Amino acid sequence: MDDEISGSFRRTSSRTRKVASKMVAALASSDNRTQAALARLEALESDNAGPEVIELNDDDDASLDEDDSVHVQKRQSKNTKRRTRQAKALESAKKAPRTFLELLQEANLESLPPHVPSYLRAGVGPPSSTSRRHFCTVCGFTANYTCVRCGVRFCSGRCQNIHNDTRCLKFVA
Amino acid sequence: MSFDDSFPPFLESIKSLLEGKLFFVTKEREQGRGSGKWREMPNVVVLDNGGGLCKAGIGGDNNPTAVVPNCLGRPSASKKWLVADQLQACEDLTSATLRRPFDRGYLINPDLQKEVWDRVFRSLLHVDPTASSLLLVEPLFNLPSIQRSTDEIVFEDFGFRSLYVADSPSLVHLYEASHRPDGLLSKAQCSLVVDSGFSFTHAAPVLQNFTINYAVKRFDLGGKALTNYLKELVSYRSINVMDETFLIDDVKEKLCFVSLNVSRDLQIARRRGKDNLFRCTYVLPDGVTHMKGFVKDLDEAQRYLTLPDETLPQPVEKKEDGHPEFSEKPEERKRIDLTKTEFTLTNERFLVPEMIFHPADLGMNQAGLAECIVRAVNSCHPHLHPVLYESIILTGGSTLFPGFAKRLEKELRPLVPDNYQVKITTQEDPILGVWRGGSLLASSPDFEEMCVTKSEYEELGSIRCRRRFFH
Ligand SMILES: [Zn+2]
Ligand SMILES: [Zn+2]
Repeated sequence: MDDEISGSFRRTSSRTRKVASKMVAALASSDNRTQAALARLEALESDNAGPEVIELNDDDDASLDEDDSVHVQKRQSKNTKRRTRQAKALESAKKAPRTFLELLQEANLESLPPHVPSYLRAGVGPPSSTSRRHFCTVCGFTANYTCVRCGVRFCSGRCQNIHNDTRCLKFVA
Repeated sequence: MSFDDSFPPFLESIKSLLEGKLFFVTKEREQGRGSGKWREMPNVVVLDNGGGLCKAGIGGDNNPTAVVPNCLGRPSASKKWLVADQLQACEDLTSATLRRPFDRGYLINPDLQKEVWDRVFRSLLHVDPTASSLLLVEPLFNLPSIQRSTDEIVFEDFGFRSLYVADSPSLVHLYEASHRPDGLLSKAQCSLVVDSGFSFTHAAPVLQNFTINYAVKRFDLGGKALTNYLKELVSYRSINVMDETFLIDDVKEKLCFVSLNVSRDLQIARRRGKDNLFRCTYVLPDGVTHMKGFVKDLDEAQRYLTLPDETLPQPVEKKEDGHPEFSEKPEERKRIDLTKTEFTLTNERFLVPEMIFHPADLGMNQAGLAECIVRAVNSCHPHLHPVLYESIILTGGSTLFPGFAKRLEKELRPLVPDNYQVKITTQEDPILGVWRGGSLLASSPDFEEMCVTKSEYEELGSIRCRRRFFH
């Protein structure tokens, strides 16, 4: 199943910023391993995928404003201007999370004639061989077994136990 | 958008550049520095604006003035956001929150980018943008909307006098061709540039200093995903480092390498004690005596280099299901975890860079590096195929892993017709190579003529100006 995951541009854009929560949700639903695998790929392209996400969902604006007002008092006006602009930049980064995939959709590259080089056309495409090597998530060696609950791979009874005890349905131990 | 067949005027200048006139110009500039003469020639700021690192300096120089993270970060113990070089200077970046202007290799947040550039131009380069030109290196296939917002930052926010936009493969080719004037690369005027960057890897054929856009192939894996993958493995196996981007970047850079024989190396990695040539230990920062992590025993970490390339050394027979990593009882393991000040790595060291060669192992439905190269070459005219395979240049931070070029050759050889040679060279400095090419171009005699000026931008707008750059 997870062999059929498509390239980046078929993933939906709104996901990127909520990877961890999505991942937890996806992992919790045993019939949705493809979603879990997708979320994991998303996580590989995000920054500080763990607590940062929680912090993003929290209302963090207050602390930024506070930060600014402290600086208004303490710093010279030139510096203050800088801080305010910086706060604005960070705020916009948070409030309007324009992801590349959103911009890509807007660009509507599919409508270009096929001979025109574009981001989409440059994608390398699927590998010629579909064989996928699986490595044990516990120890890294060749893994022949799949966890029925979360779809993660392991190589032996010993690693399965470690997986079940500490990792299954958790992204990190 | 279509490729214009007419020869652009600046090809001439590149030709003269390759013939060595450039070095004269560079010299002249250096001599002119500090005297009145310098003033007549405005600065060209050369900016290789990567998703991970921002490389910036003055055209004509040998090296960039600033190589800084292209991001803002806030240390966990602080409320203050640090920009670019301030992050490098920061002592404790444990669990720092990061904000990057780039997503998937493209500039998506102009406001954050302005912050980084402001810091770079004013505090690090000490240039006045309104008195300077800008040579900006942009990712291939940049979207028109992103180009528009980039032009806005360049001309409206910073007020640069003029702008030239280049892509990395053509600059890498330019640099290599000018440094090896007798090589095949220069004579045939073509090469295949492999740029493994922060969020993606491109295989790009270059002909007569132009990237052959219709033949470029990309897969979506670069240094960022590798670092995140290593975080995942270490977090699964020893200690939670999911938020430690800077720390794991360091681990990756110091300890990862490309295996020349994965199944053999997996076997070696299960051995116990001294027979395990891959085992090494990384010490975590303790926040008291050392603020940065480090490799515990460098000699131990280097032992894998004694391995022969191909043959399996006499296997030391161990119990088939022996799991040296988990020989302790589970309770013991947990107790150790709680007081962990270091972690060991074995097969992670090569399983991480392995993904560049087989993204399918991660569940990505994309071909790996060797096939990516073959598909790029096959998209070119057959006459070019033998020359391209013989002029492969590696650039970008992810090509720095020991064993990278050797492994690539091993994977590529069976895919290339027997009568063609495969020759792969890594740039002298794969992180700075693009910038250095840009520095060369910026010091060519008619660089200014190639640029779009601020008034042209104001008159014609972004889209019409961009047509001049041929991509
Ligand atoms: Zn295992
Ligand atoms: Zn499981």
